[in-house]
Amino acid sequence: MTALTDRDTTAPAPLAPAPAAPAGRRRRTAHAVPAAVAAAGLVVLVVSPGTPAVLLAVVAVAASIAELTRRLRVQSSAAADLEAQRLDLLTLGQSTASELEVATRMMRARAQTMTSVIDAVTEQSIIGTDRDGLIRVWNPGAERMLGLPRAEVVRLRSITDFHAPEELDPEDGSPAGPADRFAALVRGAQEHGSDVRDWTYLTADGRRLTVSVAITPRTDDDGEQAGWNFVGTDMTEARATERLKDQFVSLISHELRTPLSSILGYLELVLDDEEQPLTDEQRQYLNTVERNAQRLLRLVGDLLFTAQVDAGKLTLQPEDVDLAGIVRAAEETARVTAAARGVAVVLDVPAEGLVVRGDALRLGQACDNLVSNAVKFTPSGGQVTLQLGTGWRDADGGVTDGASPGATPVAVLSVRDTGMGIPTGEQGRLFTSFFRASTARRNAVPGVGLGLTITKAITTAHGGTLGVTSAEGRGTTFTLALPLG
Amino acid sequence: MDAPVRVLVADDEEDIRLLVCVAVRKAGGTVVAAVADGAQALAAARTERPDLLVLDVSMPEVSGLEVCEQLRADPATAGARVLLLSAGASPDDIARGLAAGADAYLAKPFPVAGLVDQVRRLTARTPA
Repeated sequence: MTALTDRDTTAPAPLAPAPAAPAGRRRRTAHAVPAAVAAAGLVVLVVSPGTPAVLLAVVAVAASIAELTRRLRVQSSAAADLEAQRLDLLTLGQSTASELEVATRMMRARAQTMTSVIDAVTEQSIIGTDRDGLIRVWNPGAERMLGLPRAEVVRLRSITDFHAPEELDPEDGSPAGPADRFAALVRGAQEHGSDVRDWTYLTADGRRLTVSVAITPRTDDDGEQAGWNFVGTDMTEARATERLKDQFVSLISHELRTPLSSILGYLELVLDDEEQPLTDEQRQYLNTVERNAQRLLRLVGDLLFTAQVDAGKLTLQPEDVDLAGIVRAAEETARVTAAARGVAVVLDVPAEGLVVRGDALRLGQACDNLVSNAVKFTPSGGQVTLQLGTGWRDADGGVTDGASPGATPVAVLSVRDTGMGIPTGEQGRLFTSFFRASTARRNAVPGVGLGLTITKAITTAHGGTLGVTSAEGRGTTFTLALPLG
Repeated sequence: MDAPVRVLVADDEEDIRLLVCVAVRKAGGTVVAAVADGAQALAAARTERPDLLVLDVSMPEVSGLEVCEQLRADPATAGARVLLLSAGASPDDIARGLAAGADAYLAKPFPVAGLVDQVRRLTARTPA
């Protein structure tokens, strides 16, 4: 083994092999090397009992310095790592802070947008509560509707303070606390996810308002329910108008139908009196009276029917109905009038019939309207064709002869006339109540403009469609399609 | 020979009331009372014990529906037949009338011949 071993070329200069020992004094030795020095990887000097004490001290110092240097180097390296980590964290922190700032700005902007939207609503009340009903949001619409500023309500009042208590108290009259009343208020929304119905709001000045309130749950950022939203629209006037309309309809029903009952009843007694037969002339006069009474009765019926449709109270009594029979009956009803006017009515219906599901009375009414209209709007010498068959209705509501993907089978009744037609610009308003085409007014065709409204309502109630094509001066075709099967 | 069926007529419209009386006679019945409101109808029903009552639904104070319900609640009058007349002709109107205990319902305006048929049909079920 050589006297000198260099394991660390990066060792500092003072620790280089000590030249102090003369070559002649070098000798091989089996003495152990101090472990710390060896572990330090320093230059190792093999010593013997004859090695001078100074040299040994120098070696020891050198070893200590080497150890310290090594530790220093390790610490420096660790410090550098820490610095790098600090810089990374700093960068990350700055980036996170920046993102946080952006997110905060966005949140503020969103909150500002929400607030401005809610504050812009002045015709509807928007009230937000916590889960117990304590008011947290009170928009200008609520201020206006209920007559209290936000500052007097938010975090101070419960939503139930503004509700008529009798609507929230148990029906059995047992006492209810605020929590019970609030539970009653949100029960519908709790059971169905949301709830829209009329409630009675109590205003600060003691008025009672009928308000249509949409109640929905409000969740926080974690998706947990934080409370409830109450969006209210004041329906007080609208509901009063509806009540007036109902009263009017009731009035028409009673006050017009009752005298008509007398007129028609006594006419029947006179016309059918076998003991005192009428002269032909008397019978003709009374038949005229009866015809006009029946006309008035139809008008009353049409007004009542339109009011029912408007109120969403049109009810059907569905059964299997042979549409062919209904079309034949409509032709029969119109036959006398058509003949008197010199209008030919051509019937083309399947002999085997065509059954649809529907209300026979209402479908008959719809067919009668279409046929009598066609006859009424066709001048002498013209023709009305009633054609019944099957077809297909596509997703857009168009009716065709052939099937196409997604199309459903329908019964198709077309009522085609060679009459005065309807100007193109007016066709879109044909189904509006009391609308009368200019051609009808110019030609003094009698009517009030309810027949097509009623026919359309009946068709729609059956899940069907009613379409029109027309050319002024050439005629009109109405196409009524009803679902088959 | 069977005694003529006894019929009570109640309608606040005099013209209709008279018309109904004519129809009752045409049907072979006898009008035992013809009154203008529900309270009178109830009182007459308890004294006259008619076989059939022809009642207008819309009468002042006590409606035809209420008369019908009270007749059914009283064992003395519960067996009488009731025919309601009304200007209301919707399925709901008819359902309300039948729920009140009426045996038949006729919407105004009604054909006199139709009323005659109804009176005959309802009184034919009355034991002689």
